[in-house]
Amino acid sequence: MAFSLREALNKNYQRWMAKNVPRRDEVTLNRKNIFIVPTRNGLLFIFTSGLVFIAAINYAVSLAFALAFLMVSIFILSIFHSFTNLNQLTLSSRSTQDVFCGEEACFRVQLSRSPKRRHESLEINFPNSAAHPTSNSTTSYTDLAARDTVEVGVFTIASKRGEFEAPRLRVLTRFPLGLCRAWSVVDLSLHCLVYPRPVPFSMNQLDSGTSGGIESAIKREGSEDFYGLRDYVPGDSLRQVAWKSVARGQNMQIKQFVDYVDNKIWLDWDMFYGFNLEERLSRLCYCVIQLSKAGNVFGMRIPGSEYPPAIGPDHRKKLLRALARYGAE
Amino acid sequence: MELNYQIPRPALIWTLAAVTLVLLPQSIRMPIWISVVALLCVSWRALIHNGKLDYPSRRVRVVVVLFTLIVSLSQIRNIGIGLDSAASLLALGFVFKLIEMRKKRDIYVVISLCFVMSMVAFLYSQSVLTTLYVVLVITVTMAAMIALNRSSSAANHSGTAKLAMKISVQALPLAIVLFIVFPRIAPLWAVPMQTGVNSTGVTDEMSPGDISQLARSAELAFRVQFEDAVELAHEQLYWRGLVLDQFDGVTWRRTRNSSSYSRAASLANSRISYEDRVRTLGESVNYNVILEPTQQPWLFGLHLAEDINDEFFSGRNFELFNDGRITQRLSYDLRSHLQSQTDFLLLSSSRNRNLELPDDVNARSLEFARELRASVSTDREYVNSVLAHFRMNQYFYTLNAPLLGANRIDEFLFDTMAGFCEHYASSFTYLMRAAGIPARVVVGYQGAEMNPYENYLMVYQYNAHAWSEVWFEGEGWVRFDPTGAVSPTRIELGVQEALRDDPAFMEDDLFSAAIFGGVGWLNTMRLRLDAIEYEWNQLVVNYDEEVQLELFEGLLGEVTKQKVIILVATLALILIVTIGFTVINIERRIQRTPINRFYLRACKELAKVNLVRRRGEGPIAFRDRVCAERPEFAEVLTELTGLYVELTYVEKSVSETQKKAELQALKAVYAKLKTEMPVLAGLRRAG
Repeated sequence: MAFSLREALNKNYQRWMAKNVPRRDEVTLNRKNIFIVPTRNGLLFIFTSGLVFIAAINYAVSLAFALAFLMVSIFILSIFHSFTNLNQLTLSSRSTQDVFCGEEACFRVQLSRSPKRRHESLEINFPNSAAHPTSNSTTSYTDLAARDTVEVGVFTIASKRGEFEAPRLRVLTRFPLGLCRAWSVVDLSLHCLVYPRPVPFSMNQLDSGTSGGIESAIKREGSEDFYGLRDYVPGDSLRQVAWKSVARGQNMQIKQFVDYVDNKIWLDWDMFYGFNLEERLSRLCYCVIQLSKAGNVFGMRIPGSEYPPAIGPDHRKKLLRALARYGAE
Repeated sequence: MELNYQIPRPALIWTLAAVTLVLLPQSIRMPIWISVVALLCVSWRALIHNGKLDYPSRRVRVVVVLFTLIVSLSQIRNIGIGLDSAASLLALGFVFKLIEMRKKRDIYVVISLCFVMSMVAFLYSQSVLTTLYVVLVITVTMAAMIALNRSSSAANHSGTAKLAMKISVQALPLAIVLFIVFPRIAPLWAVPMQTGVNSTGVTDEMSPGDISQLARSAELAFRVQFEDAVELAHEQLYWRGLVLDQFDGVTWRRTRNSSSYSRAASLANSRISYEDRVRTLGESVNYNVILEPTQQPWLFGLHLAEDINDEFFSGRNFELFNDGRITQRLSYDLRSHLQSQTDFLLLSSSRNRNLELPDDVNARSLEFARELRASVSTDREYVNSVLAHFRMNQYFYTLNAPLLGANRIDEFLFDTMAGFCEHYASSFTYLMRAAGIPARVVVGYQGAEMNPYENYLMVYQYNAHAWSEVWFEGEGWVRFDPTGAVSPTRIELGVQEALRDDPAFMEDDLFSAAIFGGVGWLNTMRLRLDAIEYEWNQLVVNYDEEVQLELFEGLLGEVTKQKVIILVATLALILIVTIGFTVINIERRIQRTPINRFYLRACKELAKVNLVRRRGEGPIAFRDRVCAERPEFAEVLTELTGLYVELTYVEKSVSETQKKAELQALKAVYAKLKTEMPVLAGLRRAG
C-alpha cells in the first residue's frame, strides 16, 4: 500500500516535472523554478528556538523572548539568502564526449552569473529518480564568487548502450547558514552516446575466424620487411635509426619495418556466432579498440551496414558509434 | 560524499570561538573545575584538528558519561535542582560534545546549544551589556554556520564575519517587531528559579560590620522614579527594608516564624486588621522601584509603603515581601504615606519582644540608661537626651570601627566611640530597651543620587543604612536615626560626603571610587550609562503582557483576538516582504531608455509574425536566426540590430549630437519596419 502510494506520488511528480521543467539548452533560475525546504539542521534550529521561547514564557524573561524571535528572524532570512544564492544563476549545456558502457559519462555544464551576484557552495548532480533509480551520480561542487562563469563536469555512470539521456540536473545550495536547502531541477537535454561495454577476449581466435574476409595484404608494425622512413621521435630505439642518412647530413630518421599480414581484417557480425546481441556488440567493440590501437586497417560488417576497411581515429569513432546505435532504429 | 560531511577548518575555528565566548560569562558562575574541563575540551578539539590528538576512544567516552552522571548527582545533592546546576550540566554536555564533534551535523548540535546557553545568560542578567554580548555571541555563531557551508575556495574570515554581521543586522528589525507585537503568554507552569548566586544587599541579620561591608561596594541596589516629579529631601529618603527585633548581644535578627517569608504565614499572623493598625496623614507619593536581583524576598520602599498592584504581601511590621526570591531585576509600583502612624496598640507579646535584652552583658550601658531615664520625666525626653549624648560626645562616624569584645555595647558607647550606622542603631536601640521603651532596629538604605538625564534616583549598596524605631504611647512607632546625631552630613547630603576622607569607603572598587569621586567626565559617563540602562529596563526588560496590552489598547482601542492576529500578521508580512526584497536584490528590469524602447517594440512587431526572441537570446543571435529562418526580414533587422548594438554596447567617445542622430536613425528603421511589416509578411504568404 505504502509502496503504491509512493509510486503514485512519484508518477505525479514525474508528470509535474515534465510539464514544469521544460527542456532548454540554457536555463536561468528564478522564483518559478527554485524550491526551498528546511534542512534537518534547520529543523533542529527551529526546535531550539521553540525551546528558548518556552523557557522565555516560563521564566518570564523578556530578552529570552527577543532571542527566540531573533532566531526565527535568522531562519526566515536564511530562506531569502538561500534563494538569492541560486536566483539568476544561468546554466547551459556544453558538448559531451561519448563513453563506453559502464564508464562514467561526464556532462559539461556551464554556470554563469550576472555581474553583481555571487553564488557560493553549489552542488550539482543528477538526483536519483524513478527513471534512473541508481544513477550513481557523483556531486560536483563549485561556486561563482571570483569568476563570472565556470564550467563543471557532472558525472554519472552510463549503464546502458545507446543514446543516453541524462536525468534532469539538480543544482542545490545550503549556503549561507545551512538551515535551508534551496534547489532547482533543470532539464538541459544533456545526452551522449554510450558505446557497448568492451569485453576482452583472446584475439588469436579472431585471426582464424577472419579467413572468410581476406581481400588484400595489410601491414602491421613489425620487424621483417623494410617499409619506409619516418622522423625520429625521442624514445625510439637507436638501432632503427637510419644512420646512413644522418651521415649524409639529414635529420634523424627511423627505418620502419612491417610484417606483411596476408589478409585485410574484416570484423563480421557472424564471427561471434552463438553470442547474444549485446555480447556480440561488446566483443566487436573490443576488437575495434584493439585493432585501432594496433594500427590495423580493418572494416566491419554488421547487419544493415558495411564499413569498408580504413584506419584512424575517425574510422574508429564511426564504427563505435555504429555499434552504439545498433538496433536503435 | 564523505568529504562533504567533514568540518572545514575555518568553521571549526569559528565554532570554538563561539563556544568560548558563550561559556565565558558562565564561567564566573560555574564551579571553577567546570571552566577547567571546558578549557581542556576546547584545547583538545583544537589539537584533534591539528592532528596532535585523536578523538576520544569509546572507553574515554564511557568514563566521561559516568563522570558527568556522578557530578550531576552530587550537584543536585549540594545545591538542588536549580538554574545553576542545570546551567553547569548543560555547559559540561556542551563541551563534551565538542570533543566528539566530527561531522557537520554534530556542529549544528553545538550551535543550537550555543543559542540555548545565550538564553541561560539572559536568565542571569538582562542588562544592556549582556544583550550586546549575546548579540556578539550570536554573530560569531552565525559566522561558524556560514563557514560550515562555504566552500573553501571562497572562504576568508573577514568575508564570513561580514556576512554574519549582515544577516544579524537584517534579522534585527523583524525580531524587534515580533518582540513588540507577538502576543505574550503568561508562564505555563511555575519554575522555581534557584541560583547559587550570593545574595546581595541588606539582609535579615545585622552583625557588626555587615553594613559597613556594604558601604564598600559601589553596586547599584535599586532605581526609583517618582510620579509627578515629586522631589523629596535627602533626609526623607529612608528606604525601609526589614525590621530586626531580636538581639542576642552580637546580632540583630528578624523574628522568624515557622515559615518566615510566605504569604500564608503573614496572613495568619495578622490578628489585628491593617486598617486598625494604621493611621495615614497628609499626602501620599507614588513611585516605581526597579530592584536589582538580591536573591532575597524582601523589597524596599519609603515608610509606610503600600503596594499598588497588590502583587506582594506585607509583613507584620509593614515590611514588603515578594513571593519567592528576587532573581531577576524587579520593577514594582508603590504608594507611600510619608506621614503615618502605626501600631497605637502594642500586643503584650510584641511589647515583650521589643524590650528583650540579652542577660549578663553590657552592665554599664544598662546602668547608664537607667540613670538617664530617671533624670527625665518622659520617654521622648529620654530619647532626646540619648541623641544629645551622641551629639555632644566625641563619637566618630567611620567605616573602620575597632573590634569589639563581649560587652560590645558598653565598649562602643564608653571606650571606642567610633563606628558605622549599625553601631549607633544597635546601641541606641539597646539604650531604649534598657530604659523600658519598646524599640527595634530597621535596616534598609538611606539617601540616593539623582540621575539628571532621566530624572530618577539611584540607590547604591553604599547607601545601606540602619536606624531605629521607638514606640511611644499614643504615637506608635517613630523613626529615630542616631547616626544623624553623630554625622548630620550622612543624612542630609549622603554617605559620599560624610565619608569623603575615609579610605575604606568603596575600597572594593578602586575604579568606581575614581568614577564616583572627582573625575568629572567619568562621573558624567557613569550617569549617562546608568540612564541608558534605566531606559533599557523600562522599555525592553519590563515589556510584558500588561505593557503589551496597554500598547495594543493605545493602538487599537478595545483589544480583541482578531485585531491582534490581524495586526501581528500584517506587520510580520510587511516586514518579511520588505526584508525579502532587500535581501533578494531583484534584477532591475531592462531600463526603458529610448534605445531599448525602440528595439523592444521592433521585437514585439516581429513576434506578431511568430519571430519571438528567446529568453537570453542576444540581439545578434536573434538577427542571425531571423536571417536564416525568414530572409525577407533580414535587411531591416540587420540595420536595426546594428544600430541598437552600436548604441548600447559599443563603448566609444561619440558626441551627444552623433548619438542623437543614431537614435533618430534607429527610430526611422523601426518606423520603416512597422510600415513594411504587412508587406513583408504578405510576401511570405504569397511566396
